[in-house]
Amino acid sequence: MVNGQRKNSDTTMVPETGGQDKAAVVHMPGPLAQQWGKGRAVMAGVWSSPEGRLGLCIVMFFIGVAIFANFVAPYDPYEQSIRDRFAAPSWAHPFGTDYLGRDILSRMVYGSRTSMYVAFGTNILSVAVGVFLGMLAGRNKGNAIDYSIILMFDMIRSFPQILLALAIVAVLGPSLTNVVLALSFTLFPFYGRIARTQTLSLMEAPFIKAGQAMGVGTMRLMGRHIAPNIMAPILVAWGMEMTNMIIYEAGLSFLGLGIAPPGASWGNMLRKGLDSIYVAPWMIIFPSLVLFVGMLGFTLLSTGLRIGLDPHERRSED
Amino acid sequence: MLLYTIKRLLWMIPTLMGGLFLVFSLTYLMPGDPASAMLGPTATQAKIDAMHIRLGLDLPIYERYWKFLTSALQGDLGVSIWTGHEVSALIGSVLPKTAILAVSTIAFASLFGIGLGALAAINKGGIIDKICNYGSLLNLAIPSFVAAILLMMFFGVWWQIFPIMGAGEGEGFWSAVHHLVLPVIAMSTGWAAFMLRIQRETMIETLGSDYIRTARSFGAPRWHIVYRYALKNSIIPSITILGMGLGALFGGAVFVEIIFNRQGLGQLIVQSIYKRDLPIVQGGVLVAMVLFVITNIIADLIVAWVDPRTRLK
Repeated sequence: MVNGQRKNSDTTMVPETGGQDKAAVVHMPGPLAQQWGKGRAVMAGVWSSPEGRLGLCIVMFFIGVAIFANFVAPYDPYEQSIRDRFAAPSWAHPFGTDYLGRDILSRMVYGSRTSMYVAFGTNILSVAVGVFLGMLAGRNKGNAIDYSIILMFDMIRSFPQILLALAIVAVLGPSLTNVVLALSFTLFPFYGRIARTQTLSLMEAPFIKAGQAMGVGTMRLMGRHIAPNIMAPILVAWGMEMTNMIIYEAGLSFLGLGIAPPGASWGNMLRKGLDSIYVAPWMIIFPSLVLFVGMLGFTLLSTGLRIGLDPHERRSED
Repeated sequence: MLLYTIKRLLWMIPTLMGGLFLVFSLTYLMPGDPASAMLGPTATQAKIDAMHIRLGLDLPIYERYWKFLTSALQGDLGVSIWTGHEVSALIGSVLPKTAILAVSTIAFASLFGIGLGALAAINKGGIIDKICNYGSLLNLAIPSFVAAILLMMFFGVWWQIFPIMGAGEGEGFWSAVHHLVLPVIAMSTGWAAFMLRIQRETMIETLGSDYIRTARSFGAPRWHIVYRYALKNSIIPSITILGMGLGALFGGAVFVEIIFNRQGLGQLIVQSIYKRDLPIVQGGVLVAMVLFVITNIIADLIVAWVDPRTRLK
């Protein structure tokens, strides 16, 4: 949805506004060994709510399908068969076949690979760049570095996300890598804003002050002491951004600006479905359904992450 | 309030200039030379050079940016590569169509979102709350373009209740409304679900606050408390979303416009991308950005005006 567009910046708002208290609860200064414990705590937090459990299961399922696509898919997703064009769903082809006789189920399975590649690629790139710049800005609060980084964030955020991504892909040329690059370019400022707000409140914490007094360098301070402690709100935003990136990838492929034609994406399958709306409704129904379940999984996971990681949320649940 | 407004507007200037620079630099990402693309493969070098001068491509980059900036501020967004039409006139002709779509979507979404969110908050934990909660979760998981295709298939192709093509132009008011129904529903479900969740959350918080308890102990009637005190105070975050949504939908309408074959800003941009008509793409993205920034600022100013606490931040 390209209303998803707005939605995502709103979800990033959630951690932003509750920033102060959250950082106070979340950070536990200590050696890296404790980070493992924190990772387990995150999983336990997600698992503690029914939303989180269901979301995690769906997401794991999709990741599994994407990784093992060549074992899961019953047919070759590129194999055409003119005789089986527009075949309705049957035991041989559970989701039917498309306008070239290709098996839709197999294409959906391979499409999940495209989807996951873009969603993970974009988010990993954006978190890396955004969090680094956000911490740098927060660390240099009030000086020229801070202002220029905020200005850059605000400049990019002042565009409707999907349109900026569209324009960038349009000039770079349609390809999956360009989709990841373009989407990352529109996404990292959202992570950056969160990281900056979190860093600002963290800079007042005694252990950071102590580190500074002991002469810990900026990079080490950011990497070892700030970054691990601002990850909770980033992770909550991550859940929601995964959903958005799946939509955007599908959207760009829908417009023919994503993966190149023989390649499978949920978006370009839907486009072909729209073109065959009178003859082959299964070309619309099954891709929509799969996209819907995938999105629901990530939405639930992000709800679970919020419940698990945000003490406010937990309190309001009972 | 005045100080806040001035600060907000002043920050807008570097943001917009940066945004303009971003749009401007798109030209550089584009492989190939626009002049030779316009003139075709048979053009002589002299003709290409002449075109360079006409397009201002021979100037140094900062001068080109300055020219782009000043002419954009005067409403001149260049001309289409293929047809030679004024880009600003093209955009001006489609903008009202997108505006109708965006405004009706946001109106529809806020009506349902705020209303149901408030209803869910009042019935917290009850059956209506549960239905709203799960319903909004499901709605959040349907992208607008998937919703659009599904609605089109069910209501346009199978049951043929609503038209599936165009905007019903020149067929009178009711035809236009008839054509609006499916696109508006497709685009507003996600926004409505989102607003519902925010509205519910804020309203529950407001209903639990001290002044509501005091009002209750004074014996104020329930509808009075809900409507006068709780709803009015909890509507503020929804205003912010409303502003963001309205701005975003000018660009976000692209899928629905394409699926339902409606003329609009998004459709113009995408078709220009297919034709590699960069000036229109640039101009369209620019206009969408400016609208996005302006609606956001208006929403922020309304919020600051309604709720003095936000001015202090």
